[in-house]
Amino acid sequence: MRNGCVAVGVALLLVAGLAGPATAETLNVYTAWPESLSQPIFKAYTAKTGVQVNFIRLSTGELVARATAEKNNPRADVIWGAPGDGFAAAKEAGILEPYRPPTWDRLATELKDREAYYTAVAKNTLVFMSNAKLLKEKGLKPPASWNDLLDPAYKGQIQTADARTSGTALTRILSIYYAFGRDEDKAFDYQKKLHGNVQVYTKSGGGCTIPAALGQAIVCIAHLPDAMEAKKKGYDMLVTFPKEGVAAVIEGVALVKGAKNRELATKFIDWTFSRDMQDLLDKNQVYMLPTLPGASVEPSVQSLMKEAKLLTVDLDWVGKNRRRLVERWVNEVIKE
Amino acid sequence: MKRDPIVAPAVLLVWGAVALFILYPLGRLLVLTFWNGGPSLDAVRGLVGDWTHRAALINSLLLAALVGVAGTALGLAFALLAVRANLPRWVGRVLDAVVLLPLISPPFTAAIALIFALGPRGLISYHVFGLTRVNIYGLWGTLLSETLTYFPIAYLTLKAVLANVDANLEDSAFSLGARRWRVFRTITLRLTTPGLANAFLLVSAASLADFATPLILGGTKFPVLPTQAFLQITGLYDMRGGAALCFLLLVPALAIFAGQRWFTERRGGSFVTVTGKVGAATRVKTLSPAAVAALAVACGLVMALVLVCYLLIFAASIVRALGADNSLSLAHYAHVFSGGLKAVRDTLVIAVICMPVGGLFAVVLGFLVSRTQFPGRRTLEFVSMMNYAMPGTIVGIAYLVAFNDAPLALTGTAFILVVCYVFRYSLAGTRATSAVLAQIDPSIEEASASLGARRDLTFRRVVLPLVRPALLAGMTVLFIRAMTAISATIFLVSLDWSLVTVRILEGITNLELGQASAFSVVVILLVYLAVAVASLTMRRLNAGSLGQAGTLLGG
Repeated sequence: MRNGCVAVGVALLLVAGLAGPATAETLNVYTAWPESLSQPIFKAYTAKTGVQVNFIRLSTGELVARATAEKNNPRADVIWGAPGDGFAAAKEAGILEPYRPPTWDRLATELKDREAYYTAVAKNTLVFMSNAKLLKEKGLKPPASWNDLLDPAYKGQIQTADARTSGTALTRILSIYYAFGRDEDKAFDYQKKLHGNVQVYTKSGGGCTIPAALGQAIVCIAHLPDAMEAKKKGYDMLVTFPKEGVAAVIEGVALVKGAKNRELATKFIDWTFSRDMQDLLDKNQVYMLPTLPGASVEPSVQSLMKEAKLLTVDLDWVGKNRRRLVERWVNEVIKE
Repeated sequence: MKRDPIVAPAVLLVWGAVALFILYPLGRLLVLTFWNGGPSLDAVRGLVGDWTHRAALINSLLLAALVGVAGTALGLAFALLAVRANLPRWVGRVLDAVVLLPLISPPFTAAIALIFALGPRGLISYHVFGLTRVNIYGLWGTLLSETLTYFPIAYLTLKAVLANVDANLEDSAFSLGARRWRVFRTITLRLTTPGLANAFLLVSAASLADFATPLILGGTKFPVLPTQAFLQITGLYDMRGGAALCFLLLVPALAIFAGQRWFTERRGGSFVTVTGKVGAATRVKTLSPAAVAALAVACGLVMALVLVCYLLIFAASIVRALGADNSLSLAHYAHVFSGGLKAVRDTLVIAVICMPVGGLFAVVLGFLVSRTQFPGRRTLEFVSMMNYAMPGTIVGIAYLVAFNDAPLALTGTAFILVVCYVFRYSLAGTRATSAVLAQIDPSIEEASASLGARRDLTFRRVVLPLVRPALLAGMTVLFIRAMTAISATIFLVSLDWSLVTVRILEGITNLELGQASAFSVVVILLVYLAVAVASLTMRRLNAGSLGQAGTLLGG
């Protein structure tokens, strides 16, 4: 038994030694994008510059919590690919350092934090995705307006994200808010009615995709990449936009305060806003829109986006009001 | 017996480890939460929607109690069937194999499988029974899923305890003219008390800490504390508010701990069934054939449900895209064995290190709290279950806060993962050890001592072999958790250590149901392998020793 203990101790030391800190010319990134979307982009950067990109994929909330807890000894250099509200929270937590890439001036005002703590890599839109087979079974047309979702035929057949999750739910609340002419009371009246048809609010943004794809619900309200991913897998899903419009939220990038590889980090951010990277969004079928003017958008996405009326979101207003909106949702929409 | 030179250092060592790896991180987090230039409650002020948190506290207690009772009862039914029904050996093996399945269930897969089985268009609910208006979201769905997930812990504990209930005692009762039910109630069940109490503690505390199941199945009508805390931290970016909610969880945890003690003490008396004198083994006959049949039907139904869920996972792993393209394909396994191999290897290394370290820690701790007297013994017992009863998210964050910089910069190493698992998941081994030790006559150890053996020798040569089933149960749970834990891991996993569970979660968020399922199947196979190797090794090590240790896989 004692020998066993010694062996275990030695093994522990070995293991601890093996996992030493990363070597130079390695950039450490936290991302909320699924590996299938983020890794090809990081690989392209490595191929171009020889800099290794080490990344951990976490949900947005976990990412911010982790980076905040590591504040005194940051492990990541860059946070790349997470929704804007996550960055707003990270800014508030004091873990970001302002940085302006060279192409800063070419980016639209609504795509960047006023004090340059974070900048939009891409725009992400909300969509309705519907299970084609179930629509047909019930003789329904795919929903084309927010009001279509109030049809009693959808009772218990809609899944979408809980407002207390990050990203997707916020995009939905904002979409409805803007779609109802920024009249908050009207927007909440609508959400109360919608609540009657909702089967369950999922606790992750894209959480309704698989259930809808497999027929547990007819409609899932989520982001475009989720819907396209489902279609790519071969699920018979119809993608539609409400005619009143949908909000497009930003997916950002930011420099971590006290980053150990600051120079590598800023170079990587610079590259993020080059044509080189912005074209990759399209080439890799990320299904988010590039933020650098002139970057390529595939015809199929272009024609899809033609149906969508994109509403511009005021980042400052969102930052100040998000918490209140969520609180109102909890106390008015889901409270029995 | 009391003035043994080895006990005091052992107690100090265990207390030191527990203080460093449980109290210190939670203490750091407590300070972060309630100290803002002075004592402050502003963390609590930021909590959104008070009514949800009030409901959550009550719901958490209710759910933990219900899951505790249901899980223990189910575990008892399976354990009775396994060791008390005189069934052929292969039945025991099948039971063991199937019962372990839900415990292995990697994150989210079980809850998702349950939705596919019992959801609005579920395999069982819709395709078999034609129901269209099933609602599995809420208390009942969560209760069902958590009971199925955690009853195996009760089973493992109770099996170890039941195996030690000497059939001769029951026999004596029969020959005194007692009827079956009376024998069962007053002998079998009564002597199992320490096992029942500890199984209840383990199952309900696991339910308290579980945020993933209610996250998927709770819906908005059934908020529970760990889920609320998770949402507060990850959805509202309010780490301090979330931490405050988690500290609130210590209230139900303490209630469970107290309840478990009360139950054991109320039933009082001695539970000793293993003495030095072993009579001729007699055939167990407490259960009538009718009772065995009833148990078999009940357990069979549960096993069928479990199997349906896992067959769904298996099916998802061998087709291109479940529901869309059902053509057979090994592509997902190819992915596991190419891109995912590092994750499998890393996870395995960590789990294999955890197993003996955690097993030994669990037995030593269990021995100290149930066999020796020292000040702060009850406190140590409770402290040792704190990490277990807290949601992983908060344990992970606490570790990150405590061990990310000097003097103890451990993040980024595998060491921190091992430590986290050992101090979070050894509890099953500890409690099983306590339960089994309560059955063992201390005079066996006294005999060893009076023959001149020192306490450490007695511990090694007498106690360890006697608690072997408990040790094995503990190591099994620890290995499984190390292979499948995610909530704490996500904060501690480093850029150099990728873990299987992270890949499974990745698969789920990425709509790669097939890849997630393939990883899950591989994890399940690895767990079976590990458990088989561990039980064989232990049998080899302790060949010819005392005790009627039934082993886990295959008696």
